[in-house]
Amino acid sequence: MAARKNMDLRPMLKPKSVAIIGASNTPGKVGHIILNNYIEEGYQGRLYPINKDGGTILGLYAYKSVLDVREKIDLAVIAVPAMVVPLVLEECGKARVKSVVVISGGFAEVGNVELQKKIVAIAQKYSMPMLGPNCLGVMDPRSRIDTMFLPTYKLSKPKVGGVSFVSQSGAVGSTVLDLIAKEGFGLSKFISYGNAAHVDEVDILEYLMNDDETEVVIIYIEGAKRGREFFEIGKKLSKKKPVIVIKGGMTEAGAAAAHSHTASLAGSHEAYEAVFRQCGFAIAKDLDDLLYFGKAFATEPAPKGNRVAVITNGGGTGVLTTDAIYSAGLRMAEFGPQAQRALRKIMPMTVNVRNPLDLVGDADKKRYEDALGVIAQDKNIDMLIVIALFQTPGADESLAERLVEFKSASEKPMVVISAGSQYTQERVAFMENAGLPVYDSPAAAANSLAELLKYAKYKSGIAD
Amino acid sequence: MELVEYNAAARLINSYGIKSIESKYVKSAGEAVAFSKGRKIVLKAISNKALHKSKAGLIKIDLLSVQEIEGAFRDLQKRAKKFAPYKIIAQKMADKGIEIIVGGREDAQFGKLLLLGLGGIYVETFRDFALRVCPITQFDAKQMISQLRSKKVVTYSGKSEKILEGLLLKASRLLAENKLSELDLNPVIIREDGYDVVDIRILK
Repeated sequence: MAARKNMDLRPMLKPKSVAIIGASNTPGKVGHIILNNYIEEGYQGRLYPINKDGGTILGLYAYKSVLDVREKIDLAVIAVPAMVVPLVLEECGKARVKSVVVISGGFAEVGNVELQKKIVAIAQKYSMPMLGPNCLGVMDPRSRIDTMFLPTYKLSKPKVGGVSFVSQSGAVGSTVLDLIAKEGFGLSKFISYGNAAHVDEVDILEYLMNDDETEVVIIYIEGAKRGREFFEIGKKLSKKKPVIVIKGGMTEAGAAAAHSHTASLAGSHEAYEAVFRQCGFAIAKDLDDLLYFGKAFATEPAPKGNRVAVITNGGGTGVLTTDAIYSAGLRMAEFGPQAQRALRKIMPMTVNVRNPLDLVGDADKKRYEDALGVIAQDKNIDMLIVIALFQTPGADESLAERLVEFKSASEKPMVVISAGSQYTQERVAFMENAGLPVYDSPAAAANSLAELLKYAKYKSGIAD
Repeated sequence: MELVEYNAAARLINSYGIKSIESKYVKSAGEAVAFSKGRKIVLKAISNKALHKSKAGLIKIDLLSVQEIEGAFRDLQKRAKKFAPYKIIAQKMADKGIEIIVGGREDAQFGKLLLLGLGGIYVETFRDFALRVCPITQFDAKQMISQLRSKKVVTYSGKSEKILEGLLLKASRLLAENKLSELDLNPVIIREDGYDVVDIRILK
């Protein structure tokens, strides 16, 4: 499938110059927040505030119209009342602006279908890719662009990384962004596309497929505008990079008047799920899953098989994790004879050499180190879950540091389970920021590893 | 939507290499007996107005003796009256096996969908089915089968799994290449040595 003509999103995400139309001196107004964000984020390109009254806004000369700007504009961010959008958009077209993001709401989402048609016609006339309307727009921490009208102090921004997040909903989008920042995995692009009047999910996925900065794609979707094309691009995309999807509106009523058993079973919700499965997407049932899977895909290599080793300093948590591993369709590895001998030699007699390997409650950094050193070499193990319960006397920040070091040398997927309050959370934040995924429950860890394996198998065409 | 006449529906699936079980419209009990030739048969009343033939009592199975066939024919005529117009069809009784459903429908968003599920009276109770967009690949066919909770019931051997994979690929082609809105092959009886499509329902 060829890219739709004139739907190149590069000027939108990597603009050398940005006009903020509706820029304002009044704090709290959308046009003020957006301009201020650009300044605070340290955007390096040229910035043109546009306001019908002119003047100076946040220390920058404000133009009365984009037509007054003599330089080329790659991106115009439009934050003016809906009724004024057609006029402003027309001016953008005449000024040969390369792309636009329409933040303003008040279009099809409130029944103003005609007004939306009007702006789509203008975007088409000038071959100007238009994102929105009714969206948060785009964010790219590498190019330091952020069209969101959310004050920076209220929202933690993720660090630079490889995860791109596409969201139909602005609210879900900004919440997840904030949570991504908390979970410590890095962002490549955030694209909130709102009404998808012109640029839609298919255009965006196609761009991300070819974007070298994007390694993992997360999608929040309520409905695909071009279903068949979505399916086609989805299949191509996930052959290149993992995709995690969450769909809003999964509980809608199925086909009302079915004439066959098939039609009564397979409604619209089931059709979406079928498409996601067939495309090899990891399906998140809630936002928790989205983040759990996201951080695993963001940092972990593809597993070679389903055998998991568990190292723990708490016996019960090891047992619960064993259960979670089997529930997720994975299985417990059996340590090879060499590993067994080596472990027996270096572990104290209180430690039973079997999987899960319970290092017992007095385990310290050294004991974890010894165990990990042996297990990493064992060819009978495909993935690793390390349970670090920081409530025990031997587990402290030096253990967290050692796990991070070990992780960076590990060729196998490795995740940590740590649950607890403040003391634990500080260690967790340290490990996550260093790129070691930490989960607070055995199920979350096991399910995330299972998704890694499922994707690895899909990519290499191995059926279950 | 319009129900495609049984023989036409059978010809359509046959043209994609999907076998339908031997069957014939019969106008009298005598014709049914002649069709039987001493083998076990099934009699069904077919009407546009009855989706659930078994619930409406419009299917008589395991008929061997002349008396059984004649009795079943008369009873069907009585029960089918309220669904008139109707026709009665005689079919060879399928050998025992596992009942599954293979179906499809046209989806406004994604086009043709293919469905595989545990069949018979359990379809709606357990809702254990897998769905894909047509056309499917062999990988998709394998995944559909392994996605079923009842996988071990549906394909209890490598042989029946292969048979089912083939059937799914054929049904996918049929769906992709024809203008139809709904398809039910329900039940399909699957065995070690093959399968029988026992009922066909195609809506144009």
